[in-house]
Amino acid sequence: MAQGTSDVALHHSGQGEQHEHPPFLAHHFDTPAQQFDAAKLGMWVFIVTEILMFGGLFVAYGIYRAQEPEIFHLAHRHLDKVLGAFNTVVLLFSSLTAALAVRAAQIGNRKQTSVMLVVTILCACAFLVVKYFEYSHKIHEGLLPGRLFTAHLHHSDLPQRAHMFFALYFMMTGLHGIHVVVGMSILAWVLWRNVKGDISAEYFTPVEIGALYWHLVDLVWIYLFPLLYLVG
Amino acid sequence: MNHTAPTHTNQAHETHDDGRVHAHISTVKFLVGVFAALIFLTFVTVYVSYFDFGEANTFVAVLIATMKATLVALFFMHLRYDKAFHGVVFIMGFLFLGLFLLFAHIEIRTRGYVDEASSTTVLPRTGAPAPGGIEPSARVPRARATGGSTAAGSPAH
Repeated sequence: MAQGTSDVALHHSGQGEQHEHPPFLAHHFDTPAQQFDAAKLGMWVFIVTEILMFGGLFVAYGIYRAQEPEIFHLAHRHLDKVLGAFNTVVLLFSSLTAALAVRAAQIGNRKQTSVMLVVTILCACAFLVVKYFEYSHKIHEGLLPGRLFTAHLHHSDLPQRAHMFFALYFMMTGLHGIHVVVGMSILAWVLWRNVKGDISAEYFTPVEIGALYWHLVDLVWIYLFPLLYLVG
Repeated sequence: MNHTAPTHTNQAHETHDDGRVHAHISTVKFLVGVFAALIFLTFVTVYVSYFDFGEANTFVAVLIATMKATLVALFFMHLRYDKAFHGVVFIMGFLFLGLFLLFAHIEIRTRGYVDEASSTTVLPRTGAPAPGGIEPSARVPRARATGGSTAAGSPAH
């Protein structure tokens, strides 16, 4: 399966990889498999730290919603369900293309890997464009955190205290948005490595790890969308 | 650089400790199927948001989101075919997040608040003086406390 294509140098050596070192193998690893496993374990630990970072905001969300359910309900109606759902579909699709990029890299299809990475990055751009329209709409209506909250000047039904909802909204989607930008940069770097020819069926770790980061961005949004846009 | 070598493929399958990366490769059809399931669940979660289940609203939303997250983690992030330990690490993250949520909620629900009438810290349920609250001798005189509250309330009038 994964071994459709193979590195000639590796195979001539048989079991003795210590003599024939493939260029992608760092000197402190014995085998490509060991290097791959170390990279993946490191990424999973990093993903846990990311869950805990977003976790703080989700805990704040839970406490605020439990304390002021009525205001939360009123405020959440000012979010656009349709735009949120559209962005969800965009992110899910980008996750699919990221997974397809990994698959293409695993079977050694360099061109397809590049195409899938480009599609993923374009989806990320689409997500940010939609987010830009959502944010500018909020700014125009004065639906902003803290002292910036001026909804009462726009004949809004929201009490002043609702600024807390928008503080949470901007913090949660903002931190997620930063992750989208970082994810785009990582995928662009992976794309560049792939175009350079560093990626092969033997060494697709950057694609795999980059895709893991992108799926994490998707995972966070999977929870953000219903909790902010749908339930109230 | 890379060229197909079927004989080597067989060899690699027999010897699993050959040091090469043996990762599962999903078919395109399967990945598209997972994506279709995710889109379906997205429609379900938007659809049910038009109904009111009262207290269960959040539960339903989180349940569907968790189903979607499970699909992404198992198949897009390859946890299904990965070392079990990576899954353990991932689940541990959620366990600690659960602890964080649990303790924060216990703290909020059992927190005393300042009762302005008696200017003491009371427990939220019973109204009894909270342990660790303000000692009776150190309490703010009642006149000052009420004066402060009317002063704070006056701009509203």
